[in-house]
Amino acid sequence: MSKLNKKRSRFIIISLIVPMLLLIAFVVFPAFDLFRMSFTNWDGYSQEKNFIGIENYISMFQNKDLWMSLKNNAVYFVIHFFMIFVELAFAVLLTGKLRAAKFYKTMVFMPYIINGVAISYAFSYFFSPINGAFDAILTSLHMESLIRSWLSDPKIVNYVLAFVSLWRFSGYHVILFMAALQSVPQDVLEAAKVDGATTWQLFKYVQVPAIMLMVDFVLFDNIRGALQVFDIPFVMTAGGPGYASSTFTLYTIKTAFTFSNFGLASSMAVAIMFMIIFIYVIQNYLIHGLILKDRRK
Amino acid sequence: MYRKALTQFIKQIICLGMVVIVIAPILLTLFAALKTKGDMAVTSPLLLPAWNRITFENFRDVLTDKYLLLGFKNTGIILLISLFFNVMFGTITAFIIERFQFKGKKIVVGLFFMGMLIPTFVTEIARFQVIQGLHLYNTIWAPIVIYVASDLMQLYIYRQFISGISVALDEAALLDGCSYFGLFAKIIFPLLAPATATVCIIKAINIINDMYIPYLYMPKNKLRTLTTFLMNYANAQQGSWQTLAAGIIIIMIPTIAIYVFFQKYILAGVAAGAVKE
Repeated sequence: MSKLNKKRSRFIIISLIVPMLLLIAFVVFPAFDLFRMSFTNWDGYSQEKNFIGIENYISMFQNKDLWMSLKNNAVYFVIHFFMIFVELAFAVLLTGKLRAAKFYKTMVFMPYIINGVAISYAFSYFFSPINGAFDAILTSLHMESLIRSWLSDPKIVNYVLAFVSLWRFSGYHVILFMAALQSVPQDVLEAAKVDGATTWQLFKYVQVPAIMLMVDFVLFDNIRGALQVFDIPFVMTAGGPGYASSTFTLYTIKTAFTFSNFGLASSMAVAIMFMIIFIYVIQNYLIHGLILKDRRK
Repeated sequence: MYRKALTQFIKQIICLGMVVIVIAPILLTLFAALKTKGDMAVTSPLLLPAWNRITFENFRDVLTDKYLLLGFKNTGIILLISLFFNVMFGTITAFIIERFQFKGKKIVVGLFFMGMLIPTFVTEIARFQVIQGLHLYNTIWAPIVIYVASDLMQLYIYRQFISGISVALDEAALLDGCSYFGLFAKIIFPLLAPATATVCIIKAINIINDMYIPYLYMPKNKLRTLTTFLMNYANAQQGSWQTLAAGIIIIMIPTIAIYVFFQKYILAGVAAGAVKE
């Protein structure tokens, strides 16, 4: 090996060694360790750790509360999914001719940077049955009959929490869509306008193709986010009443750190990991394999 | 002409509606924070109390809580150390991945990519043992190592930025006898300053707002961060919304302030972090 090459590889090794070690110790190793733990009945502290095969996976699939939690995740997913259309509309609105657009852009993204715990408490207050602002709004509109116990009625609690989640995260997607829309060259838009394209045609034929990649990212972010909903229910309802507003992640964390069943919790964690990777692969295949290839033709 | 004015008018109404939805929960919390216990019961939650009855008592209660100061201090320490190492490791890792071909590069890139796909909260179940094994549990180092090792968005931002810097610059520097470290430290790193600003600001917001890692790894009172301070404060104020409201508002201020001052960097960085994916 020449002297230069030696210097070069020494530089690479010295630079990468610490970040790689950290990544392996705190991210990669734990991920693999989850697999190993998922085949044991470990309780988190005792020395004893028995290999019990796929028992955890069987009890996971038979766990009704966990399935209910997963169904709650679906509520977040569906609501966020339909919101994507609204987010897109807002992105188009804010990138178009609009007075005070800058101010609106600032406002639309603000919820995303606000402390999640603080805003969860603020919404607990907003929806609280005593002195709650939401009930007061309904009363002032003479719609008292609609008043519910927003955070303790199992039938609606998930929708209320999903609304809080919308409030927090929608602005992020609006900003992403805006960035994608602004990447459309201005002269292309002008040319299309000169040729007499309507706003809708511009949107459909020029802007939508340009933002397909971002739509792809937002969809994946939506699925990943919906599967991992945690802090809003954790702070606002702790998954209650009962497991009515529990989510898959919340239930997993509870199984480990509250019920000390690290083995079972690991199998749930493995399940989440697989769901995310599975969806990522499928979506990658669909978007990049079918839609984008289609466009190149 | 009329139609144009009308569409602009409708657009403004829609946007103002959005602003109301964004502001309302914050504003109503602020109203509650300015009320006395008695006024909480008699005034509408949608209104401020009478001007002469506005009280700052609730804010005083929060601000004189000794754990708030501690929370600021702990969050500050965690923030400074985490950001320092994030920038250091992030820049050099991105530089090497972007600029060098070497054996095992695919594995390195693959591992970092895997790190981004691994779900966040549930990994703590296994990470917990690692932290305990290294005797970091209930020390301020637990969140620091986790923030430095995981959450790799900075790699995307730095890689994107480095790919925009001409390779000719590297070659010229090396020909002039600059060492690899010299090239990185004296030429590449300073050029990355705008990206570093973005990384620091976005990471700072994420770290200040993070709840679960400090909650899980630092239950000790002395190690409260701003966010876990609020959680403890909320448990202690059970049912007394006006005092909790003041706590909520105070904990919201740091990140809102960062946002107001550095909005440009944040909005740019958020989009850049996503596009590459």
